[in-house]
Amino acid sequence: MSKQVELLQGTLDMLILKAVSLGGLHGYGVLLRLQQLTGGRLQIQQGSLYPALYRLERKGLITSEWGESENKRRAKFYRLSAAGRKQLKAETALWNDFSAVVAGVLRAVPGAS
Amino acid sequence: MRIWRRKQFEADMDAELRLHIESYVADLVRSGVSVEEAKRRARAEFGSLEASKDECRQAWGLQRLDELRADLRLAFRTIRRSPGFAAITVLSLALGIGANTAIFGVFDAVMLRLLPVREPGRLVFVQTAGTSGRDGPPYPLFELLRDQATTFEAVAAFSGSAMELTADRGRELARGMWVSGNFYEMLGVRPLIGRSLSASDDQTAGPEGAVAVISRAYWQQRFGGDPTVLGRTVYVNGHAVTIVGVIPAEIMSLEPGRPVDIAVPMAFSDPRQRRDRTALWLFVVARLKPAAGIEQARAESEALFRSFMAGVQILPEARKRLFDHIELAPAAKGLNGLRRQFSKPLTALLILAGLVLLAACVNMTSLMLARALARQRDFAVRLAIGAGRGRLIRQNVTEALVLVAISAALGIVLARIGDTALVAFFAEGGHAIVLDLSLNVRVLLFTLSLGVLCGLAAGIAPALRAARLDPAAGLHGGSRSIAGNRVSMKLGRALVVAQVALSMVLLAGAGLFIRSLRQLEKVDLGFDRVGVLSLEVAPEQRLLGSPEWLAAQTGILERVRQIPGVRSAGLTTISPMSGRDRGAFVEVPGFVPQTERDKAIHMAAVSPEYFETLGVPVLLGRDFTAADHGSAPKVAILNETAARFYFDSANPIGGKVRFTNYPRRDLVYEVVGVVGDSLHDNLREPVSRFIYLPVPQSVEPIRRIGLAARCAGDPAGLSEPLRRQIQSVHPGLLVTSVSTMEKQIGQTLLRERLVATLSMAFGAVALVLASIGLYGILAYGVTRRTNEIGIRIALGATRSGVVWMILREGLALTAGSVLLAVPVVLAIGQVAKASLYGVEPHDPLTLASAALLLLVWAAVASVLPGRRASLLDPSTALRRD
Repeated sequence: MSKQVELLQGTLDMLILKAVSLGGLHGYGVLLRLQQLTGGRLQIQQGSLYPALYRLERKGLITSEWGESENKRRAKFYRLSAAGRKQLKAETALWNDFSAVVAGVLRAVPGAS
Repeated sequence: MRIWRRKQFEADMDAELRLHIESYVADLVRSGVSVEEAKRRARAEFGSLEASKDECRQAWGLQRLDELRADLRLAFRTIRRSPGFAAITVLSLALGIGANTAIFGVFDAVMLRLLPVREPGRLVFVQTAGTSGRDGPPYPLFELLRDQATTFEAVAAFSGSAMELTADRGRELARGMWVSGNFYEMLGVRPLIGRSLSASDDQTAGPEGAVAVISRAYWQQRFGGDPTVLGRTVYVNGHAVTIVGVIPAEIMSLEPGRPVDIAVPMAFSDPRQRRDRTALWLFVVARLKPAAGIEQARAESEALFRSFMAGVQILPEARKRLFDHIELAPAAKGLNGLRRQFSKPLTALLILAGLVLLAACVNMTSLMLARALARQRDFAVRLAIGAGRGRLIRQNVTEALVLVAISAALGIVLARIGDTALVAFFAEGGHAIVLDLSLNVRVLLFTLSLGVLCGLAAGIAPALRAARLDPAAGLHGGSRSIAGNRVSMKLGRALVVAQVALSMVLLAGAGLFIRSLRQLEKVDLGFDRVGVLSLEVAPEQRLLGSPEWLAAQTGILERVRQIPGVRSAGLTTISPMSGRDRGAFVEVPGFVPQTERDKAIHMAAVSPEYFETLGVPVLLGRDFTAADHGSAPKVAILNETAARFYFDSANPIGGKVRFTNYPRRDLVYEVVGVVGDSLHDNLREPVSRFIYLPVPQSVEPIRRIGLAARCAGDPAGLSEPLRRQIQSVHPGLLVTSVSTMEKQIGQTLLRERLVATLSMAFGAVALVLASIGLYGILAYGVTRRTNEIGIRIALGATRSGVVWMILREGLALTAGSVLLAVPVVLAIGQVAKASLYGVEPHDPLTLASAALLLLVWAAVASVLPGRRASLLDPSTALRRD
């Protein structure tokens, strides 16, 4: 297993939005999807996943409905809403800008400027 | 709100989290971990399940709700723990809120409410106006407006009139109204049953003949709510009329407060009156077209009015007085007679009720403050273990609001009881005022906002106090060592001062109003009001003008005078204090009128012995006798004011008075007597000029006549024998308005009695509240000073000395507050001066009695804690910390 990365504060919401944008998922599914997407390199506090989901649903960024899980259990499925799609797009752009700027700064070598 | 789905929320959340953990466990087991180990790891990696749930709840916005619920629970628990405190607070606040709601209900009904008709905002009254005011236009002008005005959608007319109504062989005087056929159509009033009137009913020869509609109240009370009343024929002033509909009672006319029994199309009213081009007896109301502005409508009406006036023969003076121009007045609230009559007393009562509420609010604040002090240790503990100050404030305010909510609910119940009494109060007597005081949104909103204001006001001071608390100090001490104590005591005293001052204002106000009423009741009327029975006799319509009616008048007097217990009796066309009045214009040789007004005089036709019956002295000349019959020389009697006005110091006997406002030119009467002045209608106004004529020589046909009988005993007991005797004179006579003179006078003082009675009740409530407040602060002081008092007693202070010490404190506090209140009383007195009678706003006697009353109550309220202090056992008192 490769080295684990700490989750940056405030990025969990964005990752959840991305995870559910690829198709409806229940809570545990979100966790699996994120682990799969990050290759298991991202440390996610399982206990903080649900408050984040509730918060996003409350804000109207994701919607939920009850359905049946793979093993025939009643499960709550989350799906990206139109507002969530917009938010995800905006946050992705912001993140890309931000990481580019930060990376640029960190690449700087003494005397180069 | 998700509050109702709370259980569902919890179950769903639980299921979701469980699924997560179980799925994880299953996955772990699948990867080869033992079941036990998998379960352990799943739990550990998830973290605290409860913490996660809590965060979810918070994310969902449920935390505030939970806190509110906890606050409410705590509030109810504390209220239950000190029921005495709660009872006093709730009761006093409920009285305050109830008084305000009740008075505001009346205020709303009289002053604010729009007529329940279609689009009341587009209705206007069309009035002819001049220097002497505004009045409805004559009927021909109404017809002109109705038929030709283009800015109005419709123009309708109405006019109240007593109507003789015969149905089922019973005859009675109904409160009737003439209406133009389109009246109810224009207002958009739907009938309860049957049909309403329509424009075609203006023609006498409709398919159903003459028709009428009756009010719901009359339908219920006269016809027992029987639906077969439709199609029934009744006789109105002798004309057969078919009842075709029942109108919801409250919107029978546009006169708020005035009950109407039956409405008949104008076609059946007196045709002479309808043809008269200068008679003012109508109210005309019009509905503006949506596109028409009020100015445009006025201009058009004015033009029609000018063309109408071109064909009217009228004296230039009269034209200036009454027929100068047209004015339009908004009609959304109906005629404003009732509003004008009650706007001042109701405003005064609303202010007084507001003061009572303020006193109740202050009372609640000081009680809550005292309790916050008692719970200081409790608050300190909660602060010390980490409760937020915001939460403490919120909890206090919640508690106050809970108390207020209970009080408001109780207050509304009290207001309903009060309103029932008020409705009865207004409906009493011959000129009943019917008010609809059912609860409405406006009244409820008023109560609600009062309640919230009170709750916040009373809850915030103690809450802030609690929040400022230093937990260390609060935890340490007994009652003595708490840092904020002296400040709280000061605030508490300030509140009590405010309370006592408020009750001083209310008591002094009540005193002034009561004194005014007493003064008015004692006014010298110029006649003796005690023991006089008064009633009215109306003949059947067909008897009017017939010799039978004339004979009946003498017959009535003869019969009545024979009834045992009747000392004397007389007839008059205008009974004093009955609300009836009649005016005329006269010319007196040698008298030069300065203004048109100088020619005006009140007029009544009276029988011999009338003055004697009332106890009005004949000052000069003689009374009328039986010899002054219809064909005898015309004679008149003046009252003193009229005699002095027209004849100055000359002897009026033998002088000639000519009536100038009638077509006949020969109405010259010789003055044969002068009688003492007596008040006619308004106790507050000076005596007006009066001319009396003998009944058979009346200048106007007599349609009804008033009878006054002086009785040996209680006049009320004679009303039945009198009624029977009068009816036995002629079966066509109708006896109405039976009352005693004293009652009739009482009715003219309705407003004064309303204000005096209510302000007295308010004053009493304020007095009780002030005593509670005073008692509270003194009792608290005694508790706080237990050690000190213990030392005093130990050092030899006498019991009575201790009582006196506390009593002195209470009295000093009260006296100070009373002094503080005096300028406020004087200021309010100045404002209310116009409503007072025979008493100055700074009347020392009233102020002194109010102050004395307060001091006596204060003494009672202070002696109780004083006694408790004096009974302290010094050894126990000293050992207390």
